[in-house]
Amino acid sequence: MTHARLRRRLAPAGVLLLLAATAAIDACGCAGGGLGAAGTFTPRTPGTLTVATAQVPDPGFWTGTIAHPSGGFEYELARSLAARFGLAHVRVIEVPFDRLITGHLGGADLALSDITATTERARHVAFSVGYLDAPPAILVRPGTSVPDVHTAQRLRWAVQVHTTLQQVLAEEIEPSRPALILAHQREVLAALRSGRAQAVMLDLPVALAYARESPHTYAVAAQLSSNEDELAAALPHGSGENLEAVDSALRALSSDGTIERLGHTWLHTDLQDGRAEQVPLLRTEE
Amino acid sequence: MLTISLQASLATVLHISSPKGPPWEFLVVFATLLLGPVIFKRAGVPGIVGLLLGGYVIGPHCTDLIGSGNSTLPNLGQLGLLYLMFVAGVELDLNLVRRYRGATIAFGLLTFALPMAFGLAVGLGLGWEAKAAILLGALLSSHTLITYPTVRGAGLSADRAVATAVGSTVLTDTLSLVVLAAVAGSVEGGRSSVEIAAQLVIGLAVLISFSLLVLPLAAGWAFRLLGAERSVRYVVAITAFLSAATVAELFGIEGIVGAFFAGLALNRLVPNEGQLMDRIEFFGGAVFIPVFLVSVGLILNPSVMFEVHTLELAGLFVVACLGGKVIAAWLSGRLLRFSGAQAILLFSLSSAQAAATLAATVIGFQLGLFDSSVVNAVLVLILLSVLASTFTAIYACKRVSIADHGPQSLGTRVVVGVGDPDRARGALAIALRIARADGGIVHPVLVVPESAPFAPRAARERLAHVAATAGVDGMPTTIVDRSVLHGALRAGAAQEATLVLVSEGPEAPEVDFAEVSEPQLTHTAPAHPPPVAIVHGNAERLGAVHTLLEGDGEAPSVGSEMARRVAAGAVTPLDEGDPDWHASLAPGDVTFVSTRIGEALADAYEDSHGLVVAMLAESAIAEQGVQDVRGFSA
Repeated sequence: MTHARLRRRLAPAGVLLLLAATAAIDACGCAGGGLGAAGTFTPRTPGTLTVATAQVPDPGFWTGTIAHPSGGFEYELARSLAARFGLAHVRVIEVPFDRLITGHLGGADLALSDITATTERARHVAFSVGYLDAPPAILVRPGTSVPDVHTAQRLRWAVQVHTTLQQVLAEEIEPSRPALILAHQREVLAALRSGRAQAVMLDLPVALAYARESPHTYAVAAQLSSNEDELAAALPHGSGENLEAVDSALRALSSDGTIERLGHTWLHTDLQDGRAEQVPLLRTEE
Repeated sequence: MLTISLQASLATVLHISSPKGPPWEFLVVFATLLLGPVIFKRAGVPGIVGLLLGGYVIGPHCTDLIGSGNSTLPNLGQLGLLYLMFVAGVELDLNLVRRYRGATIAFGLLTFALPMAFGLAVGLGLGWEAKAAILLGALLSSHTLITYPTVRGAGLSADRAVATAVGSTVLTDTLSLVVLAAVAGSVEGGRSSVEIAAQLVIGLAVLISFSLLVLPLAAGWAFRLLGAERSVRYVVAITAFLSAATVAELFGIEGIVGAFFAGLALNRLVPNEGQLMDRIEFFGGAVFIPVFLVSVGLILNPSVMFEVHTLELAGLFVVACLGGKVIAAWLSGRLLRFSGAQAILLFSLSSAQAAATLAATVIGFQLGLFDSSVVNAVLVLILLSVLASTFTAIYACKRVSIADHGPQSLGTRVVVGVGDPDRARGALAIALRIARADGGIVHPVLVVPESAPFAPRAARERLAHVAATAGVDGMPTTIVDRSVLHGALRAGAAQEATLVLVSEGPEAPEVDFAEVSEPQLTHTAPAHPPPVAIVHGNAERLGAVHTLLEGDGEAPSVGSEMARRVAAGAVTPLDEGDPDWHASLAPGDVTFVSTRIGEALADAYEDSHGLVVAMLAESAIAEQGVQDVRGFSA
């Protein structure tokens, strides 16, 4: 057999071999089994991933009740994590936000509660890699326009205490009047509905979720530019291997498009580089 | 205390700030390039290790002179890695690889398959997900030719084992990176096996077509059109491998595969002994490749690398990787009849883990298949494999003898003696085609008559320009002699030429054709005078090739071999019995004639006959009695 003829025969054989190898690799993912290389997650309750959150329901993030959650971005994220760890059940417990960020998870394995990772908070909890960009946004009543920071300064503001948003409001907006500092997100939104506040500062995905759920009650007036604000899972300090496992799982869920899919399904957002295209950027002075 | 307060005072008065910014960063890097190897060589440790450890010292895990946010050095390191793979491809003796292709394929498959299998077994044995285990196998099965400069420096680049190992790099790295792309594609959502395989097949086909078809044409054109400037030729080479790397990455194939293919593509255009290769090796050895090694050192982090769990993993990886490489080298040595030292050489060239290993590990981490302990274990493997590779290379190089590869090929070194640069284009083009077949080099030599003013500058520059436009990579030298033929012969002796061409100058060559007979050798050994031929006429472009040699159709002669190499298609033998044989020749045609015919034609030659290459015999060279060389560099 001449070399040319041999090459002609080998080429399609090589392609078939490549196809077969690729199919085999692709099929390997269905076999399940231990993760090992990506870290091993050891839950406090065998077979169950216990997740702490501050508020159920939380539009877009948690639907249903604490005892029977039915959906939401973070709930589905928890279920995806449990599946990757080979855990059959997800149990949700409610823990106040200010206790979560000070490291008191109430016995949960991790917390998923719109928590922005900060250096200060990292002294009390161990943060995973970020799973969702969360720049600050301004939520208002429909019909209220906030084109620039000067307009924003003249509004009456409300914001939740012990959040990064409180600091953003003080440093980026500098309202001309003292803002209402309230303990819980429910109270902040109640102040907006009642008219005690004209604008509230929320994470963009959260604001968009509220506006979508109640378009006659809320509207997202503007977003602030930020490359650093990300939502992350919070684990007890010293989680070590569990943290590695959560990080690997989140990277995998990001690579395979799960997180993007959940964002589209539950938050109806497509954040590109931390911005929502349909929400104007607040003009600030340089 | 006094010094501190003085410094503080000075800082206040003179507003001196701490060093920062690009000049400072480059100073740190280049100081490391300078001092790292020097310091460690004094301690008997190879310079490569010095560069790695130097990178660690200046990196974020030691002195933090180059912080973790710095992207300049890692980017330069990536360029250095591409450069390393390009150099390996361009220096490869393709004739050797073609000669040893069976050994290359056999060794390549062994040195890929064994570490792949062992890595897969380790991963599955640790209870890993199958994709993670497959990716581990793939990253352990690749290798980087970190010790190739060491081996080349020992004069072993033409050794069979070296050619086998270097050639096998294409196979192992391509297979490893194909597996990486398949795993990545299967993890990233929404793509089927068919799509992934199709992308890989198409990508490789496009890359190979681009590298082996488009690049040589484009580079050859650029060399002819733009290559009179030496720096331009070098930039063309850099652009070539960067373009191939870019094409590779468009299809999800690592750029290092593209850079290697680009080296193979330019192999024939860049003779190993030429000036362009000299420049490529110089900048590679001085800057690019050392910067790559320093950038690898930046990521070393002893505090995590030496955790117990990390070390356990690293131990398993080292056994799987280096164990597989050792067995592959040993088996290949037995099967392919390498000596023990050559088998060690195989191991040393195929064991160093860096480029593809790093790429696969980082991608595995980003995909969520690996956690940070795996990444750090791989860093330990990289460090140990580079050490093992380096020390075994040094050991083996001392024990592998530089093989006598027998007589050198006709086109290894072709000296072209030129009397009139304006009439040299055709001769240079002929010389280039003969040399390229062997990956050889053309040396143009301007021969100045003894009676003429020494080395007229205009003639030298003119010859340099003509040579560059003909595609010759090399600056002309100048020699003073009584005739072009004599000058060419002297230069040929000095250069150890394997063929001497004489581009007919204004005066006729002083050769008694009646005394000569045509040499019968296809190849010539260095100890013997090389074949010599007189080139009558000139042409901008070479046309059809003819022969009118005595004994045409019998055993191949030098003339017929030269004709075969010059011809783009078939060679047409002419009929000496036809008195008007030269009437059918067109300008640009090249006719190789025997000595007797050349003598007869010498007085009747016309430009309309195209180029006529008249062979001289070895005995004629001996009669010239060239005992010394008087040559001067331009």
